Amino acid sequence: MSDATVAKTGARVHEEAAPQRRWSPTRVAGTVVLAAWGGLFWFLWLTGREAFYLSTRTDWVVPVAAVLLTAATIGRLASARVTTPKPLAARELWIMGLMVVPVVLVLFARPATLGTFSAGKRAGFSGAGFAASAGDIGSGELTLIDVAAAETSPEGERALAKRAGETVSFVGFVSIRDDTPADEFLLARYVVTCCVADATIAEVRVVNVTPGQFENEDWVQVTGTIFPIGREVIVDASDIAAVERPDHPYLTP
Amino acid sequence: MAQITAPPKAAPATRIADRRTVVAVGATLVAVALVVSIGDPGRIAWVRTFFVIFGSLLIQALPFVLLGALAAALVEVFVPIGWFEKLGVLPRPLQLPAAALAGLAFPICECGSVPVARRLMQRGLMPSAAVTFMLAAPVLNPVVIASTFFAFNRQTILWTMVVGRFLLGMLVAIAVGWVIGNRSKDELLKPNPEEVDEHLLELGRPEARWRRFFVHLGNDFLFMGRYLLLGATIAAAIQTFLPTSLLTGIAEHQVISVIAMMALAAALSLCSESDAFVAASFVQFGPSAMLGFLVFGPMVDLKLVALYAGTFRRGFARTVVLVAAVATFVGALWVGVAFG
Repeated sequence: MSDATVAKTGARVHEEAAPQRRWSPTRVAGTVVLAAWGGLFWFLWLTGREAFYLSTRTDWVVPVAAVLLTAATIGRLASARVTTPKPLAARELWIMGLMVVPVVLVLFARPATLGTFSAGKRAGFSGAGFAASAGDIGSGELTLIDVAAAETSPEGERALAKRAGETVSFVGFVSIRDDTPADEFLLARYVVTCCVADATIAEVRVVNVTPGQFENEDWVQVTGTIFPIGREVIVDASDIAAVERPDHPYLTP
Repeated sequence: MAQITAPPKAAPATRIADRRTVVAVGATLVAVALVVSIGDPGRIAWVRTFFVIFGSLLIQALPFVLLGALAAALVEVFVPIGWFEKLGVLPRPLQLPAAALAGLAFPICECGSVPVARRLMQRGLMPSAAVTFMLAAPVLNPVVIASTFFAFNRQTILWTMVVGRFLLGMLVAIAVGWVIGNRSKDELLKPNPEEVDEHLLELGRPEARWRRFFVHLGNDFLFMGRYLLLGATIAAAIQTFLPTSLLTGIAEHQVISVIAMMALAAALSLCSESDAFVAASFVQFGPSAMLGFLVFGPMVDLKLVALYAGTFRRGFARTVVLVAAVATFVGALWVGVAFG
């Protein structure tokens, strides 16, 4: 009776045996890659590590990708048993392994952000559309984005110039170049619109610094008096305190 | 005289993955994890910078590839064969502009538009229209228009950039579609080994739609993902070492500055939804150069060329690069002269 069933009427009806399904190596390997990437996006979302790669404007892609990749993984696994599995080529398996390497790099490498190495290579931030207008720069608390944006328009420059002598407080990382005097450093912060690939830099020159007190990449909070001079902004530091790297190390315009 | 024909060459034998291959791949991944966590290569500044840029390119682009694969799988499984052929009833001069304007309805960036265009071709849409859509969608979609507006807001060239990007982007996409002409999908598309999947060989009843949907979704993601990986590696390496200040000296030469900004757009491989902010940061450049950057980048960049090379047959990427480059260059220069 292996290939026959007895109908309710009792008649013997011939029926082909349902083909046996076996795991498809191709689909299973693909499922593993999807699962690895899905796991990475969950990791980024749950640890907040996405802030090291994306701006707050685009970090919504991380939970969306985590959920979609999980669904894709489950769906692929559920359809991974087929009647005639296709063998998986060794080359294909190596390519799939290669696709997991970025996951391994992000998971196992020490958390890092863009630092001084890129500072001299990046264009200066110019966010006329997002930064405060010249009127806004003229009053209220100044941010590094305001300062950087003000440097790119004559109106902004004039508005910022009127704030000369006021006290400001900025958080950023220390950037010391070859020609930086010993009692100065550049306080820098990257401005990221989508991902780190589009980072531009906002920086001010900090003077009145104790030589040797800080090194490249140290995160500090500088409080001092601001002096915009043309397209350069100088902060005469009254207090410089070492701080932890912020949870969101990049600014979003 | 008897004609002598050479015997057909035997296809190279494909080595099948066995248990040893699985162990070797797994061991390699474990070794990478150990080297990265114990050796800490991130101590070296350029390695750290490369990791961060490489990771960010992938983390931002892969979700969009996934969304593109999702749309492509929906098209494959739920849109009847031949449905897109009905678009062929449009008068020929309207077909390509209509395909370009369809991009307005798809807020996807360039990585997502490639799998969608590929699947549209396979489902019967004219290849020239699919290519036009593929190139236009990342430039014409509403998110990109809005981001361009915000990036150049309060600048005198605001509308030159917003309207110029929209119109020039559409024209360049149409120009590439026009050059593609009547080439068939078989002349353009590379066969994907993953496409010859088990569902075609299933015994008994055909595979359920939901199973086919997930298989296509995974296949497209895995297929595009590998080329994105390659493109992101090259783009991250260039971003790590290329100082953008190199371009400052050539900003005054209008012709050279357009070429330089187009080349920069291709090298940086930025998402079309954010590239306007980077373009706006090059305040020393004129509107022609910025427009060249904004129109050419979403159509031709390193990660896209890798995706094109994986998706389309040899010569396609060359055609896209050449036609898009010439059309963008001429258009951007004209806009600069007329409205700059």
